[in-house]
Amino acid sequence: MNRTLALLLGAIVIIAAALLPIWIGPFYTRVIQLFFFSAGLAIAWNILGGFSGYWSFGHTVFIGMGAFAAAHIAPNLGLIGTGPMSMLVAILLAGLFCGLFAAILAYPILRLRGIYFAIAMLGVSQVAGELVNNVGWFKGGIGVFLQTPLPAGMATEDFFYYIFGALLLLCFIISMAVRNSRFGYALLSIREDEDTAMMLGVATERYKIMAFVLSATLVGILGAVYGYSVGYFTTYTVFRLDLSLNLIVFCLIGGIGTLFGPIVGTAIMLFITQVLLSRFLDIHLLITGAIVVVIILLMPGGMIGALRKWRRPKERSSTVTAEASA
Amino acid sequence: MSENILSGRGVTKSFRGLTAIQDVDFDVPAGAIFGLIGPNGAGKSTLFNLITGYYPLTRGEIRFSGESISPLPTYRRNQIGIARAFQISKPFPALTVRENVRVGAMFGRPGGSDPEKVVDEALAIAGLEELADRTAEGLTVGSLRKLEIARAYATRPSLLLADEPCAGLNPTETEEMVNCLRKVRDRGTTVWLVEHDMKAVTSICDCILVIDAGQKIAEGTPQEVVADPKVISAYLGEPLEEQVD
Repeated sequence: MNRTLALLLGAIVIIAAALLPIWIGPFYTRVIQLFFFSAGLAIAWNILGGFSGYWSFGHTVFIGMGAFAAAHIAPNLGLIGTGPMSMLVAILLAGLFCGLFAAILAYPILRLRGIYFAIAMLGVSQVAGELVNNVGWFKGGIGVFLQTPLPAGMATEDFFYYIFGALLLLCFIISMAVRNSRFGYALLSIREDEDTAMMLGVATERYKIMAFVLSATLVGILGAVYGYSVGYFTTYTVFRLDLSLNLIVFCLIGGIGTLFGPIVGTAIMLFITQVLLSRFLDIHLLITGAIVVVIILLMPGGMIGALRKWRRPKERSSTVTAEASA
Repeated sequence: MSENILSGRGVTKSFRGLTAIQDVDFDVPAGAIFGLIGPNGAGKSTLFNLITGYYPLTRGEIRFSGESISPLPTYRRNQIGIARAFQISKPFPALTVRENVRVGAMFGRPGGSDPEKVVDEALAIAGLEELADRTAEGLTVGSLRKLEIARAYATRPSLLLADEPCAGLNPTETEEMVNCLRKVRDRGTTVWLVEHDMKAVTSICDCILVIDAGQKIAEGTPQEVVADPKVISAYLGEPLEEQVD
């Protein structure tokens, strides 16, 4: 796409998104806020899982850790206050903490490849959740409060709509910068064939750690803001296995490893579950599951993958004939 | 002969008591096309794996430009100028041909010119310009082999290890591959070639090392090696005592 056109389109989307809460009611503001949050998470997951091919099945560990870090670190450092700065500091510290945790965790866990890494992350998230729940100091069992320094006259849903919107934009810009950089090519080569990547001079260990830390930091920040947005949360509000799996589904539906895939997938899945199926609460998980299966079967590359194939029919027919003759 | 870019002394590799490479000495002269031949299972690929650091040495030493490379991990060995093209092509299947080569150009030996220029040069040498925007997934065996060479060349190596680049290619493709390797050498990169195709080896190699069952059995110019009785017996077997009619 033309660069100026892309920038113009981006600007229009951003302005439209900024004006949207004026027309839609609180319910849809919250739905879109949830979309911003989830899409941000999906993008962060995609930097590690999509670009470098290291699928984490326990990424919610960083949501939970971010939320609890926001509740505990800043107050315990004596940085107590209720002004807007208190929230900013708490969120940044939470992101930093998650990044640091990931950097330490990276040494043992990134030596595992493929499904072993995925399961190890699942284990890490379960263990961390149990620790936060059962060690008294974390107050995971009884829950913690995070008070939002809301600007005067602003509705809560509008405030978090804008914050999550800005974070989604940040995640997207970072993801785009990564994808087009040397760092991004290193991650892609690791995903495609890690041993060959090494043979081409790619310091695979270092780039894997960088991707893991970056992904964890972004998720930690989103988790901290999520903690503020709900106000009060216990362990199981934020350490949620279903959310870890949802992230992967969002990316799968949209197209893993693509730039827009996580956003598109999140939009589709949230539209289906929150809007279309909101009247069929008894069977909505059943229908959602069926839809996911159908989409994966029909479009293994996700929406973006299907779009690419559609735009390059020649390539598709050539692979089809190759498959037919094989 | 000029100075040696790569030297091995007493290079040995054992896998749990099975010795795959035993006390092999070699000297690869800078600027040459150096050939390594030997029957199946002689240890040719193992030797390449030792040079690139995929396996650690059991004993012995390998020196590149006079420096021992034993402590260096694989990616560092590439960064100082050793590249490898695989026998069984290992492309990045979801990436385009250009992107595959770009990974080599972006990493590999630091410094040098603009990565995109290197990519163009590597694609031109391998004759892959027309396939540049295709994904590597659907390429033919011949194109995949060229891609291996292009991607390895893009890392700007001073030594390129080519592991059976002509295996499974038809005569035209073999011819193209041989020309491609010559071009690589003419641009200042030493080429170390492992090959079964005797015609290809003898036509382009300046000197040849022959190993059998992990040991060096001959070394010299193509003419010398081909005439060596030990080489003949390794390839064709010992002459039969009794003729079978």
